[in-house]
Amino acid sequence: MPKQKPVNHLGRDMWFTSLASLLAGVVTSLLLGLLVFIFIRPVEAADNVGSLQSERIRPDLVQRGSLLLKQASGGVVVEAPVLHTDVAMNISGMLARVTVRQRFRNPAAEWVEGSYVFPLPEEAAVDRMRLRIGERLIEGEIREKGEARKAYEAARREGKKASLLDQERPNIFTTAVANIAPGETVQVEIEYQQAIPYSQGQFRLRFPLVVAPRYIPGYPSGSPEVTAFQGNGWARDTPEVPDASRITPPVVAPTEAPVNPVSMHIRLDPGMPLAHLESVYHAVNTEKNAQGIYQLTLQDAQVPANRDFELLWVPAPGNAPQAALFNEQWQGDEYALLMLMPPAPAPAGATALRVPREVIYVIDTSGSMHGDSIIQARAALKLALERLTTADRFNVIQFNHQTSALFSRAVAATADNLQRALSYVDRLVADGGTEMLPALQLALGQQPEQGVLRQIIFLTDGSVGNEQALFSLIHQQLGDSRLFTVGIGSAPNSFFMTRAAQFGRGTFTYIGKVAEVGEKMAALFSKLETPRLTDIEIHWPQDQPVEMWPARIPDLYLGEPVLVALKLQQPNLPLTLTGDAAGVPWQQQVTLRGGAARSGVHQLWARRKIADLMDQRAQGVAEPEVRKAVLDVALTHRLVSRYTSLVAVDKTPSRPADQGLENKAVPTNLPQGWSAARVFGSLPQTATTSEWNLLVGLLLLACGVLFSRWPGVGFGVRVGPVSDGKVHGGNVL
Amino acid sequence: MNRSRDRLMHWLVVGMILAGIWQIAEGGYIKAKAWLAQYLLQSAWETTQAGEARVRPWPWADTWPVARLRVPRLGVDQVVLSGASGRTLAFGPGHIAGTATPGMDGNSVLSGHRDTHFRFLRDLQPGDLIELIPASGARLMYAVVSAEVHDQGDLWLLDQGQSLLTLITCYPFDALLPGGTGRFVIRAIPLKGAGLHPQAPLFADPGEQQRIYM
Repeated sequence: MPKQKPVNHLGRDMWFTSLASLLAGVVTSLLLGLLVFIFIRPVEAADNVGSLQSERIRPDLVQRGSLLLKQASGGVVVEAPVLHTDVAMNISGMLARVTVRQRFRNPAAEWVEGSYVFPLPEEAAVDRMRLRIGERLIEGEIREKGEARKAYEAARREGKKASLLDQERPNIFTTAVANIAPGETVQVEIEYQQAIPYSQGQFRLRFPLVVAPRYIPGYPSGSPEVTAFQGNGWARDTPEVPDASRITPPVVAPTEAPVNPVSMHIRLDPGMPLAHLESVYHAVNTEKNAQGIYQLTLQDAQVPANRDFELLWVPAPGNAPQAALFNEQWQGDEYALLMLMPPAPAPAGATALRVPREVIYVIDTSGSMHGDSIIQARAALKLALERLTTADRFNVIQFNHQTSALFSRAVAATADNLQRALSYVDRLVADGGTEMLPALQLALGQQPEQGVLRQIIFLTDGSVGNEQALFSLIHQQLGDSRLFTVGIGSAPNSFFMTRAAQFGRGTFTYIGKVAEVGEKMAALFSKLETPRLTDIEIHWPQDQPVEMWPARIPDLYLGEPVLVALKLQQPNLPLTLTGDAAGVPWQQQVTLRGGAARSGVHQLWARRKIADLMDQRAQGVAEPEVRKAVLDVALTHRLVSRYTSLVAVDKTPSRPADQGLENKAVPTNLPQGWSAARVFGSLPQTATTSEWNLLVGLLLLACGVLFSRWPGVGFGVRVGPVSDGKVHGGNVL
Repeated sequence: MNRSRDRLMHWLVVGMILAGIWQIAEGGYIKAKAWLAQYLLQSAWETTQAGEARVRPWPWADTWPVARLRVPRLGVDQVVLSGASGRTLAFGPGHIAGTATPGMDGNSVLSGHRDTHFRFLRDLQPGDLIELIPASGARLMYAVVSAEVHDQGDLWLLDQGQSLLTLITCYPFDALLPGGTGRFVIRAIPLKGAGLHPQAPLFADPGEQQRIYM
C-alpha cells in the first residue's frame, strides 16, 4: 500500500532519530566532559607542581643553573664588561696596517677584570698593543708568554691597570684587562700588519669577527670539579685539546640580542684603477677621491660581531698585477715581499690534458653545520657531482661524530651511481659532533690506481680545536692525493682550512652564503681541472745567502701567484723562477730592483717564518726545538706568537687594596645562521603527540556525528522516494 | 534541497569519522607501544642480566636494555634503554649517552616521555626511594632530593661532578603538543652503601659520548 509506506518510514525514522540523538548526546557530553577535564587538569596540575616547587625549589635557582654552578665555585655574579670594537684599516697596494680598538666598559659596581677571546686573520703579524686609560697611553712590551703573564698577574694583584694580549691559535687571540673601576672605560689598541691574498685576479681581505664555537674531541681531563671553570670557556680541557677552555668563550643565549658591536673604517689605496670593489657580506658606504683612494665605512654604523667581513677588489682590465715588490731595510738587512704571477698555462690543451680523476667528497654533517651551512654544502656538493664525467671515479663520505661513506670504495661516475649520490646528498642532516680524524683517515687511506689524479674535496666549517693532530695526519698520509678545503658558513676556521689545504697541496675556497655557491665552486672546478704548476723553485746567484719563507713554494693552481718573503744581504738581486706545468718546464727571470719601500715588511717576513716553523710540529719536529726557534724570531721582530705575548702595565696602582676584583669573560655571539641547540645540544625532547592525536580524533568523531544530523546528510534517516517520485530529505528531523 | 551540498556533507562526515578513527588509532598506538614494549623488553633484560651485553630486544632495534628502574611507592617498574633518541624513548626511558653508566660513579641521567613512562615523575615526593638495577644485578637505592624546572639548554644538568641519579622529562606535563622547551628534572642521591663503582674508562666509541657537545 503506497499510503502506508511513509507512515512506516516515519516510525522507523523516529526510532533512528531518537537513537542518533541519544548517541550524539552521549558523545557530545563525553566530549564536553573531556574538554572540561583537559582544560581543568593543567591548572590543577600546575597548582600541584607550583606547590611542589615552592616546597623544594628556591625560585632564584630555577632556570639559572649555570649561574648556580659558578656561585658554587666561589664566584659572585657580576655583569661582564661591555665591549665595543672599532677597526681601522689602512690598505695600500697589497699591504694592510690594521688597528683594532677594543673598549671595555665596566657596568658593574665592583672592580672587574675583563677577558675577550677574538679572532684576527690567520696571517696577521701582531706587533703592537697599547693600553689607553683616559688620556694616557701605555705601550705594550713583547715578552716570552710565561713572563708576560707573570708581569700581568703581578700588576693585577697590586691593583695596577694592565692588559695582556695572548695568541691561542694563529687566528684566535685573547685580551685580558685588569682593574677596570666601576663605570670606567678602558681601551686596548691592537695593531697588525698583513699582506692581502691575490688570487684569480681578485684581492680578498677577510676580517673575522667572531670565534665560532669549536668542537673539542676527547674526554675532559683532570677532575671535573676543578676543570669545569678553567679559562672561562664552556669546554673542559681534554688530552687532545689541552687549551680547550681558552679557545671557547661563553656564548650569549640565542634569545638575547647580539652583543659586541663593531664599527669599521677602511682606507683603500689600491694603487691601480679598479673594475670592481665589493663588501661581500656587509653593506658599506664607499667614497672615492680624485687620487683613486677609497674610504669605506659600514652602512649600519655598528654591526654585531657575528659574521666575517670580506672586502673584494678586482683591478680594471689591463691593470692586473703581474708582479709586485715591497721592501724595507731593517737592522742592516734587506727584507722584501715578492709576488709573481707565473705565465698562464696554454689554455688550448686544457680539455685534452684532462686526466682521469678519482674525487672523494668529504662533507661535514656535524651540528655546527646546521642551518644555512648544510644548505650551502649540499648545493656545492651537488654542483661538484654534476661536474664529473664517466671517466672519473668518486665517493662521498660524511662525518659528524661518526664517519660513513656512500660506497665502500670509489666507484665509476655512471648515471646510476650519480643518481644515488645526489639523493644521498639530499638526505644529509647536520647533527652531532665533529670527529674529523676518522673521516680524513678514510679519505686519505685508500690509494688510487697509477695515473689517476686523486682529489679530496673537503667541505666543512673547520670548527675543531685539535688542528695540530689533523695537520700531522694530512702530512703523513697525503701520498699522491691532493686535499682541497671548502669553507662553509658565516665564520669558518680559516686558519685550519688554509693550512690543511697547504699540507694537502691543494687550495682553500670560502663560501659565505648560498648565493655564492655557484660562482665559488666554478672557480674551484677550473682549478681542479686545469694542470697546476709544480716543482716551483727560485734560483739565486751563487754565494748569496737568501732566507726565503715559505722555504718550499707550494704548487700553484690557475690564477695563483708566487708569494714569498725574503731576507737578503744586498738589494737588486737577479733571480730565476723555474717550474713545471703538466710536464712542460717553464722559467722566468726577475731582478729585484725598485719596488715600494714600506715599513713592516720585516714583520711579514718574520710572521711567515714563524708559520713555517710552527708547521714543522706537524712534520715531527719536537716542540721545544720549534719553541726556541720561534721565540728567537718573535722577540727580535716584536711579534705576538704562540710563545710570546704583549703586556702593558700601568705604573701606579688604581684599585684600592681593600676592593676585590672579579674576573669576567666577555661573551661572544654565535655566528650568524648557527643553531645553539644543534651546536651545544639540548636535553632530550620527551613528549609524544599521543594525547594530541587522541583529542583531535575524538573531536573529529564528535563533529562527524553532529554533522550527520544535518538535514540531507542522512545516516540512518534516509527516506525512500515517495510514490510521486519526489525525493524527500530527512525532514522528519 | 541542494543535492550536491548534501553529498558534500555526507563525505565530509565520512571523512571526519575516518580521520577521527585514524587519529585515535595513532594516539592509542603510541600509548600501546610504550606499554607493550616494556613487556617485550623483559626477556631482553633477563638476557642482559645473565651477562650478555647489548641485547637487542628485536633484531632491528638500535637500542638495548641497560638497567631497570623501580619506584616501589608508585608501583613503577621499567626497563631503561640505551640512548635517548626519539626512537628509543617510544619504548622506554633512555639513558643519555655520555653520562655515567647506571651503577657507576657519577651522574646517571635518564630521560623519558612525560606522557608515557615518565609521567610518574610529577608524583615523586622528596625522600621517595628509587631503585636502580644495573646489568650487574646490584640494587642501588636513591632518594629523591629535588624537583626543578629547567630550560632544555641547561646542559650543566648532565655534569658529572657528583654521584647522582637525574631523571628528566618535558614540562609542563599536560601540554597538548610536544616541542616545549621546559624540562622537569628530578635529582636523587645515592643512599649509603649503594655500592657505586668508580667510573670505568668511558666507552670505546667516543661518538656516543660527545653528542652533547657540538
